[in-house]
Amino acid sequence: MERRAYYKNPMLPWLLLAPQLLLVLVFFYWPTSQALYWAFTLEQPWGGGNSWVWFDNFISIFRDREYWGTVLRSGLYAMVTTGLSMAIALTLAAFVDRSLKGTKFFQSIFVWPYAIAAPAAGVAFRFIFAPESGLIGSINQVWPGIWDPATNGWHALAMVIVCHAWLGIGYNFIFFLAALQMIPRSISEAGAMDGARPFRRMLDLQLPLIAPTAFFLLIMNIISSFTDSFGLIDTMTEGGPIGQTEVMVYKIYFDGFKGLDYSGAAAQSIILMLLVIGLTFVQFKWVERRVHYN
Amino acid sequence: MKTNWLLSAALAATALTFVGSPAAAATKFEFWYGLSGDLSERIQEMCKTFNESQPDYEIVCVSQDNYDNNLQNTIAAFRANKQPTITQIFDAGTLDLMLSDAFIPVGQLMADNGFQIDWTNYFSGIASYYSTSKGELLSMPFNSSTAVIYYNTDALAKVGFEGTPTTWTQVEDVARKMKAAGYDCPVAFDPAGAWQWFEQFSAIHNQPIATKGNGFGGLDAELVVSKGKFVDQLAWIKKMYDEGLFIHKSKDAGETANDAFVNGKCQITSSSIADHGTFSKQAKDGVHWTVAMLPMLEGFERTNSLVGGASLWTLKGKSAEEYKGAAAFYNFLAEPAQAEWWSTVTGYIPVTNTGFEAMKAKGFYDAAPYKGRELAIASLTMPAGENTRGIRLGGYPSIRAEMVKTIQSVLFNNVPAQQALEEFDAKGNEVLRRFEATYAGKSLL
Amino acid sequence: MIERSPVFDFLTYLAMAIGAFLVVIPFWITLVAGSQSLQEVSQVPISLMPSSHLWENLSAAWARADLGPKMLNSLIVAVGVTVGKITLASLSAFAIVFFNFRGRMISFWLIFITLMLPLEVRIVPTYAIAANALLPFQVILDTLGISWLVNAVSGIQVTLNWNLLNSYTGLILPLVATATGTFLYRQFFMTIPDELVEASKMDGARPIEFFFDVLLPLSRTNMLALATIMFVSSWNQYLWPLLITTDRANFGTVVMQLKALIPAQNGTPDWNVTMAGALIIMLPPLLVVAFMQRWFVRGLISRDK
Repeated sequence: MERRAYYKNPMLPWLLLAPQLLLVLVFFYWPTSQALYWAFTLEQPWGGGNSWVWFDNFISIFRDREYWGTVLRSGLYAMVTTGLSMAIALTLAAFVDRSLKGTKFFQSIFVWPYAIAAPAAGVAFRFIFAPESGLIGSINQVWPGIWDPATNGWHALAMVIVCHAWLGIGYNFIFFLAALQMIPRSISEAGAMDGARPFRRMLDLQLPLIAPTAFFLLIMNIISSFTDSFGLIDTMTEGGPIGQTEVMVYKIYFDGFKGLDYSGAAAQSIILMLLVIGLTFVQFKWVERRVHYN
Repeated sequence: MKTNWLLSAALAATALTFVGSPAAAATKFEFWYGLSGDLSERIQEMCKTFNESQPDYEIVCVSQDNYDNNLQNTIAAFRANKQPTITQIFDAGTLDLMLSDAFIPVGQLMADNGFQIDWTNYFSGIASYYSTSKGELLSMPFNSSTAVIYYNTDALAKVGFEGTPTTWTQVEDVARKMKAAGYDCPVAFDPAGAWQWFEQFSAIHNQPIATKGNGFGGLDAELVVSKGKFVDQLAWIKKMYDEGLFIHKSKDAGETANDAFVNGKCQITSSSIADHGTFSKQAKDGVHWTVAMLPMLEGFERTNSLVGGASLWTLKGKSAEEYKGAAAFYNFLAEPAQAEWWSTVTGYIPVTNTGFEAMKAKGFYDAAPYKGRELAIASLTMPAGENTRGIRLGGYPSIRAEMVKTIQSVLFNNVPAQQALEEFDAKGNEVLRRFEATYAGKSLL
Repeated sequence: MIERSPVFDFLTYLAMAIGAFLVVIPFWITLVAGSQSLQEVSQVPISLMPSSHLWENLSAAWARADLGPKMLNSLIVAVGVTVGKITLASLSAFAIVFFNFRGRMISFWLIFITLMLPLEVRIVPTYAIAANALLPFQVILDTLGISWLVNAVSGIQVTLNWNLLNSYTGLILPLVATATGTFLYRQFFMTIPDELVEASKMDGARPIEFFFDVLLPLSRTNMLALATIMFVSSWNQYLWPLLITTDRANFGTVVMQLKALIPAQNGTPDWNVTMAGALIIMLPPLLVVAFMQRWFVRGLISRDK
């Protein structure tokens, strides 16, 4: 990723960077350091003061079986939504990439979910999946009680995951399509002349070439599984039933702002941040070695 | 609204004390509350009446949608020094505020501003919930209620039950007969109603939720639910649920218990007396209903139920003028005419003895649609027990949320009641210990 | 295309049709439910044909969630974030990609890490600063003794105070601070051939001139793509506005209002109004994406033009 040609100037780059660095300092590093402090104290919600407790917050989090449940659930959530959404998007992009007549029409439709706010999709999907309403709920008329996200945690989780995967289709599709269309035609044609079937060609030729995009999307999807999940869960299930749709971000929000346990929530934040940084770092090191941006 | 765009490096000369210029206009102050819908409109009406009743103060009333949100936003604002003068905090948040040092006790506020209020006139159950152990009232009692049970009278008549059931055994019997008579949903049950199914149940049976009189004796109280009568009650609820006599009705299931009741789909529901007014308004044509005190287990003497709802807290950090306004507002609320209006248009109960007596004398409770509301007062003024003063536990909103989960896990995931409640106690105690540690060195007022 | 077998073409169309169905069905149901009367929407099974009550449901939702001022707020925030982020991101990506200076990698990582940690993940920390965003500087001044010095010399007490609660600044700035844009710009700038830089240097252009005369025109489509992304993502923000806004009446955004539209306790299950409201809230970003799509996709296919 090094350039051969670049500018040298002692002041200018810092001037250019200053606004962004300043914002990042104020809204990221400073607050994070504060949270780090909170994580080692017991902070009174009304701001009356705090007391230093060393690692107590972390210990009680790690001892909490429910917390580990949330961690596993978040992992599962991230994997399934990312996998589902990227697989569907890649399939669609591969077919659209054939540029048959009328493809443009489909292409513009596939982008739509990207524009939708997670809570808005949550509201719509909640209605679609509502056990008592006339859509998915209709199957309850045939087999009573077969679908009930209000009492069955797995149903509720599946409902949220499907909605999340749907939301991601648009974004993933755009990027995959863009990546596929950047592959020089000559490469695919050469492959075809060698007699490779479309599916094989996809696997052997195109996939490696779109690896940088796939990597980028992987990160973005995992991040979105932390961010968009909040809006979805808050509008669809509020973490229930029995807390079985609580993911890490939702628990942080709930413990901190509803339970008024700022310190516990801060400690959870720190853990989550370390987790994400670690994950990204590993991916970045591992992938950037074999992925070429140019 | 002005935006705080400026990097206000506010320069204040230390030698100079800033003297507020005497304002010609009325002093404005804010009141945040956690009610929405119909009740919110009532509060707006009340604020308007207050503003029109005098020229000196203007109260600005802001709805924060629900109690949780209001507490959260008030704290945010308080930390940013942007708090309202008055905020409405629900019963479960009482202790969190008590220890916060963020408020001015209402007794002191009224005395400082020259208002005489006879605090002994307040129902003792209500006053004690919001007072220190020495009896100093900290917040202004406001919207107060308690849990009751509502029956569909046609359904009762159909199964041949005279009057209303007074024990849970009778409720079970009635529910069974209703089911046999073709009612799909005898009893509407929402686990989120832990307040009535669990807390009020414990109170009227004088069962401890926590040691030390539910926490009134100190911050080191411990939950003891798994050792009390609620274990059997929860197991019983599970049995009823499995037999299809209790039907799960909640926001998530698409219809709330109350909606199912007023629509005539469910025949029995337990809720707040505050819903009495709403039910009158919303009950479908042909749905006849009545209200009763919560049923008892057989062999128990009824003790008083707990006051629910919320009270008004005056927050620190405002000007003397604003406090005068707040005091005037409280005084306005305590006026008999105002109190009567509030109890009439909502289902909330009058909070003073004289208020209640005056309404009773007028015949308010004698006929529909208000008949039956007096049962709430009767329920609240039953003989007291050692566990019926209230619930004074830290972080209680999250403990209450944990109870909802516990009930759900028993009903939906078949966890045995005993085991579920033991886990509840353990988790709740964790919350209590954290709270105790957070306020280390402080003791209950 | 390479193969033209009718079977494969058919498969392609089939797959695209299934995909379109999957994508469109939630929109369709939202529209259908939003156009029905309360009675129609409560039917099991529900009719999948739109009815005639769309307009009254839309106005009911508009009134219930007070969408007028909320729309304006959302618009202000979305445009603010978009403009702010494009400006900041292009500048900082320019510095990172085209300059060689000590601290370049550090700066990159300082910014890049925030990309991995969106607001939702660090919500508690960020919230801590909502009350006073200048606290860091106050602390710096205090620890360095500057405030004491100023106080001693002039008798003036330095109090830095910048409250973010209930302000557009509070809604916008933390979103601008994240690194999505910087990362996208960096990815694009890295595809600019070295020859271009060399040529520009040869012409004697200063870095700023190179930035304005060469880079910006080249990155116009990328900018549009980024603008679309930023507009959509800031319009769709949910958690942060929820926390930073205690004065919902004046500073609430439309997406925050969604929950208020869900049939809640003590109400009738009027999903038709809810869905009509969702429709209104979905529309602006959908229009932006539909309208910008051409540039949006092209902006990402930058290299093969």
